[in-house]
Amino acid sequence: MGAVLELEGVTKSFGEVRAVDELHLDVRRGATYGLIGPSGAGKTTVIRMIMSILFPDRGSLTVLGRRSALEAKDRIGYLPEERGVYRKMRVDAFLAYIAGLKGVPRRRALERATRLLERLGLADSMRKRCEDLSKGMLQRVQFVASIINEPELLILDEPFSGLDPVSVRVLRELIAEEQQRGATILFSTHIMAHAEELCERIVMIHKGRKVLDEPMAALRRRFDTRKVRFEPLDETADLEPLSRFPGVVRMVRTGEGCELELAENVDAAGIMRNAAAAIAPARIELARLRLEDIFIRLVAADGRGLEMSEQALRTHLQGLGNEGVAA
Amino acid sequence: MIGRAALVAKREYVTTVSSKGFLIGLLIMPVMLVLIGTLVPRLLDAQRAQVRAEVAVIDRSGSALDELRASFDPQALAARMTAGARGGMPARNASPPVLTLVERPGSADIESEKEWLLADGKQRAQRAIVVVHPDAVERRPDAQEFGSYDLYVSAGLRDAAESAIRESVRQALIGARLKASGLEPSAIQAAMRVSRTNATIVAAGGEQKAQRGFNRALPFVFGLLLFVGVMSSGQTLMTSMVEEKSSRVVEVLLAAVSPLELMWGKLLGQLGVGLTVMSVYVGLGILGLSQFQLLGLLDPALVVYLLVFFVITYLVFGALMLAVGAAVNQMADAQTLMSPVMLLLIAPYVLSFFIGQAPDSPFSIAVSFIPPVNSFGILARLASDSPPPVWQVLLSMLVGIAAAVATVWFAAKTFRIGLLMHGRPPNFATLIRWARMA
Repeated sequence: MGAVLELEGVTKSFGEVRAVDELHLDVRRGATYGLIGPSGAGKTTVIRMIMSILFPDRGSLTVLGRRSALEAKDRIGYLPEERGVYRKMRVDAFLAYIAGLKGVPRRRALERATRLLERLGLADSMRKRCEDLSKGMLQRVQFVASIINEPELLILDEPFSGLDPVSVRVLRELIAEEQQRGATILFSTHIMAHAEELCERIVMIHKGRKVLDEPMAALRRRFDTRKVRFEPLDETADLEPLSRFPGVVRMVRTGEGCELELAENVDAAGIMRNAAAAIAPARIELARLRLEDIFIRLVAADGRGLEMSEQALRTHLQGLGNEGVAA
Repeated sequence: MIGRAALVAKREYVTTVSSKGFLIGLLIMPVMLVLIGTLVPRLLDAQRAQVRAEVAVIDRSGSALDELRASFDPQALAARMTAGARGGMPARNASPPVLTLVERPGSADIESEKEWLLADGKQRAQRAIVVVHPDAVERRPDAQEFGSYDLYVSAGLRDAAESAIRESVRQALIGARLKASGLEPSAIQAAMRVSRTNATIVAAGGEQKAQRGFNRALPFVFGLLLFVGVMSSGQTLMTSMVEEKSSRVVEVLLAAVSPLELMWGKLLGQLGVGLTVMSVYVGLGILGLSQFQLLGLLDPALVVYLLVFFVITYLVFGALMLAVGAAVNQMADAQTLMSPVMLLLIAPYVLSFFIGQAPDSPFSIAVSFIPPVNSFGILARLASDSPPPVWQVLLSMLVGIAAAVATVWFAAKTFRIGLLMHGRPPNFATLIRWARMA
């Protein structure tokens, strides 16, 4: 399938600060891309250039086969990081206005808005003024505004920022529906957990430079942790037999139990079954791939993240205490 | 592009004209004018009707008393007021002053009479003593001038009462002097009266009755209309832009329209608002003129010129105000940037009255070609008794259009950058830097 979005050596500076540096990016049709990096990495600048709100100093970009998003705005959905509404406007009027700007006839826009708002539990908010809605409700309305035109390309800039857990869950479901509809999705976040769950491909940016561009599946393979976390039901149980299982390279004690590091080509599922049979577990799991660990490793290798301590980087990446991570 | 800009313009127009603030703002000027035209004179007259005073007269001449009685007579006071004795003012529907004459002997001692002014210890006593000089009616044989009179008043006597007393005494002394000379005062007064007439302006296009008051006011009225139209639209434009920026709705809009489409949409939407305001005021003006059978005094071409120069002036100032609105995050930040813009708008509006008085002066002609104030200058001259030649009007129009194009270009450059800027409010130097960057 062809590229929906192509960036070739895109560079953008603000005064002395180089916000985006020689960025190359190909987004394939129908895929879900995660643009991740800490706050200030340049994600929003990249998105604003894609949307032709800002223009690159150097390089070129193609959006849906056009030289500029200005020529294809009707086919793009965009949820900016800094989003607002006309507070005095009614929800239906606001959505119809945004839809009108994107070339959607009023009647069709209202039909789709009604359907989406019902889906989001806001059916009775259609005739309300925006100022009468709660922040969470407004965020859902804003998301509806971004997909009212059934876009081919959906760009979401920090879509979960400031959302309560319930809203995050609803939004994730809606994004999944857009994926199923066939929309290409590019979303930026500094919360890696969201990217892990939703994205097929990850693009990492640090200080304006791309440090990673790989499919999630490949990342899982390349950065497979090969670790099993084990927590016994009986806190006093002797865990030492687990370290002697074939294929276990090392056992590390943790507060709740232990972590088993596995050798290459060992069946993790078999180890987990054997461990559960040997000692009654309270919890047993395969350690998940953590994008933030990958990011820290890449930045350290790149040598450009040294001004910031690892702990500071982790704090950025986790969104200051896992902001908005859904249950 | 036109479709999206038109949608933005439509929303801008509908939102503005359907707001309570717009309706109040639209009505406030006609209501003020009606109030000034009707209520204020009534209030002033009401105050005049309350003028009451006691006037003691000591006639040392011995021959002015009859005329004083006649002059202080309520009917005479009313007649003088109706005739607009002072400054040829038109008659107004108000009660005349009530001056009660208290006759004192001609030989009365003024020092003891002054006690009367202090009598009752009233703070606001309305009393006066008029002492007519012995030679006030007949000159001394060796004197060139007549004698006059002395006037003593209580501390609280109102100015209006004093004026009425002075006018009555003046009329009485003139009458007494004329009688003493064997002349009939009414005949003399009739001989002195020459009614004022309006000049007839003879021009190549025909003859027209000049209405000096109307003609004098017209340049100022046109300046006022231009000022009010540009101000109301420009301010709303800036306010709505600041609101869109501070509420962060602007980036949602930029997902659907380009910055240029957004700018043109807003600019044209408020242009519609301005034209609506102008149409209402011009319509009310025409209605008022037709009520008084004065419609013929207004050249229809002037209305067309007014609208054309309004569009030009609005584009210049509206684009500047929009650029300012896009550059700041709250209205308070806009004040610094707006001060010079406001000065450029207010100064020519104030000057338009004087330009209308001297439309052919070098200053007036020069102002007609200096943007952005040229519209005020040329309109004031067009509305004056001596309109400029057509080539000057066309040149002024061209200068205005060039200025509008330059300002809109500048605004478009700064608008795109300003929209996404937050933090410290910029100054004009920053705006110029943005224009170069964009």
